[in-house]
Amino acid sequence: MKLPGQWLTAAAFLAVGASVSAAPLGLPPVPVPADNPQTPAKIKLGDRLFHDKRFSADGKVSCSTCHDKTKAFTDHLPVSKGFNGLTGTRNAPTVINSAYMKTLFWDGREPDLEGQSKQPPVNPVEGGLHDHKPILKTIRGDREYTAAFSEVFDVAPEAISMDHVAKAIASFERTVVSGDSPFDRYQYGGDKTALSEAQVRGLELYRNKARCVSCHTIEATQAIFTDNRFHNIGIGFKKIRGQEEQTAEEFVRSKRAGADVDKTVLTNANVSELGRFAVTENPTQVGAFKTSTLRNIAVTQPYMHDGSLKTLADVVDFYNNGGRLKETDPLSAFQSGGIRPLHLTDQEKQDLVAFLESLTSPQFKPQAGK
Amino acid sequence: MSKSLNRREFLKRGSALLAAGSLPLSLVEVAFGKNSPENFTFAYVSDSHITHVKGKEFVRNWDRGLIRAIAETNLLDPRPDFVFYGGDIAQLGKREEIDHGLEILSALRGDVHYVMGEHDYYLDLGDYWRKQLGPDHYSFDHKGVHFVVLNSILTFDEWTHDKWPSAEERMHQMARLDNPQGSPFMVGQAQRDWLKKDLDKISKDTPLVVLSHSPLQKIYKGWNFWTDDAEQVQALLKPFNKVSVLYGHVHQIQYNQIGNISFNSAMATAWPWPYPASYKQAASYMPKLTVDMNRANPFFERDATGWQFINTHTGNVDVHYLLPDNTNRVVAYDRKAGHPVDSEYQAAEDRIPPQTHY
Amino acid sequence: MKTTTRPYLLLAACGIMLAGSAAADEFTKADLDRWQAEYQASVDKGEKLFHGGLKSKNTVSCDQCHPNATNIHPETYPKFQQQLGKVVVLGEMINWCIMNPLESEPLALDDPDMVDLQSYIHWERRGVALEPGKH
Repeated sequence: MKLPGQWLTAAAFLAVGASVSAAPLGLPPVPVPADNPQTPAKIKLGDRLFHDKRFSADGKVSCSTCHDKTKAFTDHLPVSKGFNGLTGTRNAPTVINSAYMKTLFWDGREPDLEGQSKQPPVNPVEGGLHDHKPILKTIRGDREYTAAFSEVFDVAPEAISMDHVAKAIASFERTVVSGDSPFDRYQYGGDKTALSEAQVRGLELYRNKARCVSCHTIEATQAIFTDNRFHNIGIGFKKIRGQEEQTAEEFVRSKRAGADVDKTVLTNANVSELGRFAVTENPTQVGAFKTSTLRNIAVTQPYMHDGSLKTLADVVDFYNNGGRLKETDPLSAFQSGGIRPLHLTDQEKQDLVAFLESLTSPQFKPQAGK
Repeated sequence: MSKSLNRREFLKRGSALLAAGSLPLSLVEVAFGKNSPENFTFAYVSDSHITHVKGKEFVRNWDRGLIRAIAETNLLDPRPDFVFYGGDIAQLGKREEIDHGLEILSALRGDVHYVMGEHDYYLDLGDYWRKQLGPDHYSFDHKGVHFVVLNSILTFDEWTHDKWPSAEERMHQMARLDNPQGSPFMVGQAQRDWLKKDLDKISKDTPLVVLSHSPLQKIYKGWNFWTDDAEQVQALLKPFNKVSVLYGHVHQIQYNQIGNISFNSAMATAWPWPYPASYKQAASYMPKLTVDMNRANPFFERDATGWQFINTHTGNVDVHYLLPDNTNRVVAYDRKAGHPVDSEYQAAEDRIPPQTHY
Repeated sequence: MKTTTRPYLLLAACGIMLAGSAAADEFTKADLDRWQAEYQASVDKGEKLFHGGLKSKNTVSCDQCHPNATNIHPETYPKFQQQLGKVVVLGEMINWCIMNPLESEPLALDDPDMVDLQSYIHWERRGVALEPGKH
């Protein structure tokens, strides 16, 4: 069994064929769909597909372009760069622990990893392909691939479909799981020396005064640091301020007329800011985006759906001001309840950042501060 | 964009979207129906409880609730014909509160009809409210529906005029929901006489929509989920074929059917209230028909608050509850059943754990 | 603490003397009534704090969301309060409400006001069976 060394720890826990796999300290078992059980061969195939640059219009963009494991499975760019250097509207979220997400993409427009990976190759500012045919053609013409698909899915080359491709990639992504951070060792491993005094104070703030835990969930035995829900915290509001109604109305009309949501949200800067509304058309979800996990947050900068905040200190300031950079900035009418000025002192803000830095897993530790 | 496209879109996607708890805006258009030009929608926002702290400071949480409800209401496409505001703009009836609330409400696109709430009334007995907004009971006709607005939060003269040392004290007493020193709401003889005359003018097959702040039915006296002369008012509405009563005050989803009259409540934009049955020291009478709203999660300040839009396409009302941080609900009049029915949770086996209040 | 317990001890001592030869672990109906009244005094204070008596920076009071202290569920504590990420006692949740909807300073868990608030909250919920941990 040949797996990338970095992932041996997670993969070693694989209970092949089971509905769940065990997980590192601080994380629940990885949920695995019944129709896509984990197997070593499938994971290996998914790993290769994940890194294959041929699945793009210019042959230079793979999944790993924007989800680079040397950058904690992000690209460290505000918004991702696709083929020909084109940029979209959204920051690349990390793949790490995406296995725990109940919806994928910032607006949750795909229900699972299998659905997610099909979209970027055919997005006009990402992979840039018109459809999935070139991907299947490349795979069918590659002997190693056809052998692997045959082994994993028992399919002839001409029967290989995007569903198979997506299942393999998803299986690989389900091995990109990482816990065992200083916080986990302190909270769940019984090591009271794992956090500094500032970090312990930060944890208390996280749970109480700073209200982080309301959405970035911690439980008594595990923590995935997200409620898997959608909230309007105020990011990106300035861009469509005063144009929310018009943008929403025009988008709904174009959607009725057949416009593709995936393409529109990544190519139309204003529509992008509608967030979850673009998917559900629910007026209560304008500007709402999915709560991201905070695991490895110190090594997955920049932050927010548009990558507009560079540092954790910026993020803490943003929340401390009630969902805005400056306390005098206007607020979005659609802002979620619960986002409000926190009145943190400078010391408290520092403690909170110190705590967030304790959420980095050992395998990403060397990347911290880069 | 043609109607037929909308209909097709809706038929294709509507049920799935509703099941997911969301409300496609196109639903409004579809429900109009091309053969019924009289059908229309209106929005219904209620109970904002704008609270003055000091100087220019108001309670942020309640401000944000109203601001958000209005922003969301403005997204309805096509526009509702008008908006009802169901009462309790203010918390303690202060001018600052009514002014601030009306300033926020000025962002609403379209005409607004106002209902008097007890929090608007008991400081100056509604003087400032009436000065800003006009009479506290009135009626009008719109596309074949007769609308009546009542001030249902009056009470005994003795309580109002003789019991309290100051207007402020009277307001504070009435503002406390669970007040043992409180007094039951009523429409009163004068308005009932006016209502009778008003209704004498219209034919009995005219759909009737009556708005009041308190429920024109008796649910729990201890919190004034109650109108003392509810039966007398109901008797005046009885001769009509289709009657819908819409009320605020209760900050929760309630619905009921009494004879020919359907009852539907509004959510508050400010905060939710527990169901009276969760108070174990007193008996209450929640309509059995009501499927409770989800228990509120206070960590999301807007949870279990919201606003409504209302579709009158059958002459009865369908109430769409828009609930931030929660699943939207639709309570629609069911002709076959002869009462309002929740589109998703009505059957006991379809209810979900957060709907259990204890 | 000392100043508040001393009169209580004196009262208790008087009670024993009045009861004559009764053993220290025996008490009368009058004792029970008096002790209940002591508790009721705390309930009364709590009821006032609950209805606007707390120093709330934004004027919001507990009863605005919890008429008759409903929807607090004191019988379910301690419990895992998902939104605080840990198992908490009722006082911690009361403090959350004081800090957030009331935008005010939390109380010490043994602050007399905190005790009185809980006296009132429990009194309004009397007769309901304990269900620790219930969400």
